[in-house]
Amino acid sequence: MNPKWRLAVFLLACLVVAPGVVGLALHMPRFGAPVLALGDAINAQGTAQRHVSNMVSAVNFDYRGFDTLGEEFMLLCAVTGTVVLLRGARGEALDARPGIVPGRPILPRSEAVTLVARVFAPLIILFGVYVAAHAMTTPGGGFQGGVIVASGLLLVFLGDGYQTWRALVKSRVLDACEGGGAALYALCGFAGMCLRLPFLSNVLPLGTAKEVFSGGLMLLENLGVTLAVGGGFSLIFLEFLEETRARKPDEPK
Amino acid sequence: MSVLVSALLLLLACAGAGVVFTRSPRRQVMAMAVNGLVLAVLFMVLQAPDVAFAEIAVGAVAVPLLFLVVLASMRMDRAPRDADRL
Repeated sequence: MNPKWRLAVFLLACLVVAPGVVGLALHMPRFGAPVLALGDAINAQGTAQRHVSNMVSAVNFDYRGFDTLGEEFMLLCAVTGTVVLLRGARGEALDARPGIVPGRPILPRSEAVTLVARVFAPLIILFGVYVAAHAMTTPGGGFQGGVIVASGLLLVFLGDGYQTWRALVKSRVLDACEGGGAALYALCGFAGMCLRLPFLSNVLPLGTAKEVFSGGLMLLENLGVTLAVGGGFSLIFLEFLEETRARKPDEPK
Repeated sequence: MSVLVSALLLLLACAGAGVVFTRSPRRQVMAMAVNGLVLAVLFMVLQAPDVAFAEIAVGAVAVPLLFLVVLASMRMDRAPRDADRL
């Protein structure tokens, strides 16, 4: 298909789709208008029902906890797939040499980068733990906290190089975090079933609203998500960064 | 719609256009990170801090890093004459 035909097909498709798009755009709700009654209902009653002040967490871990379970296993599948594809090829050894890109020299790391990374890595990891731990009271939660911790660990790679980073971030520990976190979330669901309640019922005492340890079973589920997301993202980073090492002599092309 | 939201939407359009019109993949990755950052600020202004957190960590750190690694890995495996095309 030459470019002229492609343009013709594109314009034809535009003609077909345009009335629908314009019609939808004209009938959209006003910007910022409240559209969903459910959100207002949860905002009004959530704190009284679940003793937490971050309603996003209440929805994620309690009202729609089953969806998060699906999300958790989706992440597990994605991470497992990445690991199966990338593990065992190159960069397994701690002292694997950096790969050479033709025409681009490997420059020594500047001391300023090392300093900044060493100062900020612990702070960012601490902030990630804070965000994850305060899931029930302030915005954030297990997913956000886990990703922040994983990116904080990356700063070790930026500041101190591949060997130090690999010595610190053990892939077996990450495997355990990822699998164990997802399993913890699923087991939280069965806790209610053991007491003849529906799957993922909140069986633990709810505690006092606006305290860090409130929300009952949501705390355990949040811990599971934190472990799974932090471990999962770190594992993906690890597997990908192994690919920046030099090819092993016996590796098939 | 406040001035701040309008300005951010405009900025977002610019950042998005920047991603599309950048031709070199390495620069495009950086443009994508900037786009993620602007998007995160917009979420923050629209009072969705949870999504802003996720967007800033995934859109501005995780995804660009993975793309950079893939680009580096591809350049390593190419013959020298192909390398300057990336």
